[in-house]
Amino acid sequence: MESTNRKYKIGDAVMVAVENPTGNPRTPHYIRGKRGVIGAVHGLLENVRDHRNIHNPLYTVRFDLSEVSTCHDQDSIWVDVHEEWLSELRLEERN
Amino acid sequence: MSGKHDHKAFEGHMHDFEAHIRAVEEDLEYYRAKRFEPRIIYLIRRGVVTFSDLLKARVALKRNNQFFKPRKPQGKNIEARVRYLEEWLDAYVKGIALVSARAVEAMDMVTEDNRKERGDYDDFFKIQKKEHHGTLEERMVNLEQDLKDYQGLLEVFVQALIKRGWSTREQLQQRWQQLHEERPWAGGVIVAKAWTDPAFKQALLSTGREALREMGVHQGKVGKLVVVENTDKVHNVIVCTLCSCYPYDILGDTPWWYKHESYRTKIVQNPRACVRDMFGLEVPASKEVQVYDSTSDVRYFVLPQRPAGTEGMSEEELAKLVTVDSLIGAGYALEPLQQKKAEKLGATPEAPRVRPD
Repeated sequence: MESTNRKYKIGDAVMVAVENPTGNPRTPHYIRGKRGVIGAVHGLLENVRDHRNIHNPLYTVRFDLSEVSTCHDQDSIWVDVHEEWLSELRLEERN
Repeated sequence: MSGKHDHKAFEGHMHDFEAHIRAVEEDLEYYRAKRFEPRIIYLIRRGVVTFSDLLKARVALKRNNQFFKPRKPQGKNIEARVRYLEEWLDAYVKGIALVSARAVEAMDMVTEDNRKERGDYDDFFKIQKKEHHGTLEERMVNLEQDLKDYQGLLEVFVQALIKRGWSTREQLQQRWQQLHEERPWAGGVIVAKAWTDPAFKQALLSTGREALREMGVHQGKVGKLVVVENTDKVHNVIVCTLCSCYPYDILGDTPWWYKHESYRTKIVQNPRACVRDMFGLEVPASKEVQVYDSTSDVRYFVLPQRPAGTEGMSEEELAKLVTVDSLIGAGYALEPLQQKKAEKLGATPEAPRVRPD
């Protein structure tokens, strides 16, 4: 079930799209437009009881809490995001 | 949700009637507005049943035709009445599972259909939940009436399904029996084994369901399973901010607060404050809180740390220390003394209900 054809690897810095690129609704609003780092690569997953067809490769993206919230604790939020929502973060955007 | 009485580590304590009633109120509205009524609407939209079918079924329904047999509380004291409401809710939830299974087969439904229909992505579709007020007594009386009304609709819906030929009484009775035999709670034995068997723990953390298959525990079937380990440096917490995804096929029914808007919002805004205010859990500054938001095809649970003072305990004894809360990160596994105390108060780790999906 897992694909070898994945765009990102663990540690890659990524940005989540602001707009819905394909119609898959399962990206929560609070991470849209936010920067994170790939924390896990899941690839293509089958979940026939949940939805039809197979979505694009799935990643767990780690966000600093302060990136997605006004709270400044040194904690983190890990969210599962499909590939089409992600873009590579260019060096100058990382700060 | 406000104040510390909303949820406590030992929610099963029967002496806290308020907490029990709150849990029934929240769950009842959740199942009605999120699981049952959106499904009826979905099926009406597609002509599987019609409003007229429901009306006719209501008229034709005779007492001896009723699928769900009403029960009576075992006593008049408050504890007996609370248990009665809880059992009734349980029957209602199982009833929804029963009709959902038929609907799913008849219509080839998937969970995602229901999410859309119930407004997870669009407030426009949301069915209003009822708010609860008054004294404990008033709330209990209201709950009895609501349960009666809601189960009435469920009963009528079952009759309509039979009448329209989507199911037979025999099929439904067989499924009803199965629903009472299914007990998906395997959290305790899994964690206890991971605490005592390092090779199993490694396999569990790296392969998820695969390790469960080897262990002989039913491994569930919804999505990929990922188990995240609590350590001296990391405290993990699980949420689904989009709906309420949860590995129910392994851990059983979802606790009411996990599905509550308040938890789902606050845990990703200020995790430390959220677990402190809602569960009385102080996570030490030496630990990073990592919140996992299960937004897609992965289902998570937490491997809690083994409590102090448990050296030499058997797997069977260890399994009793594992609470539902500790698998979500809303609590720690119980220390042996806490567990003894909880057991005395009748607060064994719950055997959660079967969820209708």
